[in-house]
Amino acid sequence: MPHSEKPFKLSVPDADIDYLRKKLEFTRFPDHPDGMDWQYGVPIENVRRLVARWKDGFDWRAAEARINQFPQFTRDIEVEGFGTLNIHYVHKKSEAKGAIPLLFVHGWPGHFMEVSKILPLLTSNAGHHAKFHVVALSLPGFGFSEAPKKKGFKIRQFAEVGHKLMLALGYNKYVVQGGDWGFTISRNIAYYYGPEYVKAWHTNMPYTGPPTFAADPLLYLQYLVTPLSPQDVQGLKRNEHWYAEGRGFTWIQQTRPQTIGSLLADSPTGLLAWIYEKLIVWVDHYHWTDDEVLEWVSIYWYSRAGPAASVRIYYEYYHDFEASQPPWSPVPFGASHFPKDVFYSPSLWVRALGNVVYEVRHDVGGHFAAHEQPEILVDDIRALCELEVVSKEFDY
Amino acid sequence: MAEKSFKLAVPDTELDYLRKKLDLVRFPDELEDAGWQYGVPMDAVRRLTARWKEGFDWRAAEAKINELPQFTRDIEVEGFGTLNIHYVHQKTVAKNAIPLLFVHGWPGHFLEVSKLLPLLTSDTGDDPKFHVVALSLPGFGFSEAPKKKAFMMSHYAEVGHKLMLALGYNEYVIQGGDWGYAICHSIAHLYGPKHVKAWHTNMANAGPPTFWASPLLWLRNLLTPFSPADVKGLQQNKIWAADGRGYAAIQQTRPQTIGCFMADSPMGLLAWIYEKLVTWSDNYPWTDDEVLTWVSIYWFSRAGPAASARIYYEFFHKSGSSLAARSTTPFGVSYFPKELVYTPRLWMRTVGNVVFESEHESGGHFAAYEVPEKLANDVKSLCKLESVSKAFK
Repeated sequence: MPHSEKPFKLSVPDADIDYLRKKLEFTRFPDHPDGMDWQYGVPIENVRRLVARWKDGFDWRAAEARINQFPQFTRDIEVEGFGTLNIHYVHKKSEAKGAIPLLFVHGWPGHFMEVSKILPLLTSNAGHHAKFHVVALSLPGFGFSEAPKKKGFKIRQFAEVGHKLMLALGYNKYVVQGGDWGFTISRNIAYYYGPEYVKAWHTNMPYTGPPTFAADPLLYLQYLVTPLSPQDVQGLKRNEHWYAEGRGFTWIQQTRPQTIGSLLADSPTGLLAWIYEKLIVWVDHYHWTDDEVLEWVSIYWYSRAGPAASVRIYYEYYHDFEASQPPWSPVPFGASHFPKDVFYSPSLWVRALGNVVYEVRHDVGGHFAAHEQPEILVDDIRALCELEVVSKEFDY
Repeated sequence: MAEKSFKLAVPDTELDYLRKKLDLVRFPDELEDAGWQYGVPMDAVRRLTARWKEGFDWRAAEAKINELPQFTRDIEVEGFGTLNIHYVHQKTVAKNAIPLLFVHGWPGHFLEVSKLLPLLTSDTGDDPKFHVVALSLPGFGFSEAPKKKAFMMSHYAEVGHKLMLALGYNEYVIQGGDWGYAICHSIAHLYGPKHVKAWHTNMANAGPPTFWASPLLWLRNLLTPFSPADVKGLQQNKIWAADGRGYAAIQQTRPQTIGCFMADSPMGLLAWIYEKLVTWSDNYPWTDDEVLTWVSIYWFSRAGPAASARIYYEFFHKSGSSLAARSTTPFGVSYFPKELVYTPRLWMRTVGNVVFESEHESGGHFAAYEVPEKLANDVKSLCKLESVSKAFK
């Protein structure tokens, strides 16, 4: 029988903290010839500095206490074909009447704490805008949720977990928001569970190729006759550069997750470099403090299933790409484009993803929008949910 | 700087440090029934890690390696100053011997020559005999790594060539697979046929002829139908390109990031390399100690394992040189069925002056190590040809 909800307080055992410190003490750094900038990967002085602080100076217990200010829980969710998975999540209700339940879905190398800045804004009872009950889960295999034990846990299954969690919390009507894998998962949740349960979905990373005739003949026709704007041309050029230079990690994770996983599990320095590179390269002038970075990476290091589990989503997605691309859904869809995110998508193409009722292109912000530009993202979510087509479903 | 003889002698402190790291190992979780599907299976990694920590005798492996005559010497590389280069050098007692430079790749090393050595330097029979030189490429094994970025194929070629000259070999032949193939291609182009009298590869890898570079071959290619083997092989290439090159994708774009792992996690380094040893060879029955010796060379390497990834970055970013132009130097190719890429025979003619070809029923990427007799015979057959042997009479 699935267990009912249990409150959760993050409490990494002392032994694990000591173990990490020991590992860091025995770090062996790579050599680093002159002239190697960020082009070659993380410059060594950054790695050394962060490792030194992680070993001595970074206060994990203080970080933990900060994390524990967010109300967290676990509960068992049954996933068809995979048995029961114990899922960890943040859940904060708004005091407002008619608040809209919102599921926040993170990606890689993200985690549930990406919700931390938008949560107070979304749940706040002040002002006249839409208010939200916020649920932010650790995806299976991430953070403090269990990982699936069997092969073939695809986007469909991630979507199932998110939906069943909302139902279990008593939310028969909800909206969903995500970027990175959160985008793909939100899209699947909207298709499979909307419009009956899912009343809107939003992404800060609308990612798609050009329209195809098979999927949407009219849109395809429109695509053929519509010239690309200068902004489109520039954006697609940036995509090309990304495909050539920025996707090495994707490639290894989607083909040999167990091999790269061995490295991720065993070397905290390597894990730090692997993730830190993304935190720096994918943002728009966001100033990370060292402790912010270390708190972020520590969640991966101390994760329930270990960091290797987190990369299998790439493998499962890549090996059944078709299954993760649901057809167009009428569920109201909002898209926010941030200029420094890793992919650029022309607005015309985004219409293939869903029923675009709200779209905006921003001047600032990168991949981790909820963390970098929380006010902007919250404005977008509110704007989407205040549209008649969404708000009529909720009593606010 | 004059040559110094070299004996591999990893300090005790390094052995202790490795053991401590292995003591602190943390393994990843694994899916049920994953097998090799998701990458290297954990039962093998756990077994190897346990043996590496306790049971594997590095000093015995070291002693065996030291049976090979090894040396170091400084080689000047234009723009990079002096690099101290490590190499095996075994002379044959036979007359009219042909000097041969053996060039390894990734994740290979100088020791890949070990089974070829007795076959090539042997004094018996009518076949050509060789003096064999097998270097550790800069950044690999026990050679220094370049201290600056942008060390290109031409620089690796310069090292190989200058080493042969320094050893008194004004005329020589070269053999290589993996990066050894690209480097030998460069050496042949830059220093042949004056110095390089023949070159041989066990990793045939070329694209189709283009109209601009080779119009006659291009025409022939248009008119020649693919054989069933070609069709099958090119199909395999597609799968390889999509599925097998993740390691290359990360090494050629972010070598310093993946380098952090390789430097810091012996178990991770083991997994990273072991996966290739098994999946790239043709059912070669690796013993655990063979694997551990192999990986230890990377772990204990002079510049550390991270340095070895940068060859991918520099080649991929091509800011200077890539695969060299076709040379008239006599070129021999051995085709092994389990090599990573398949190339139709016609296409190899765009790479060099093919004078010898040999097709095998068995053998994979690490041909010198897996099927040394086959490779040695091919090298001998190539060098028996008049166009090659006349230089060494």
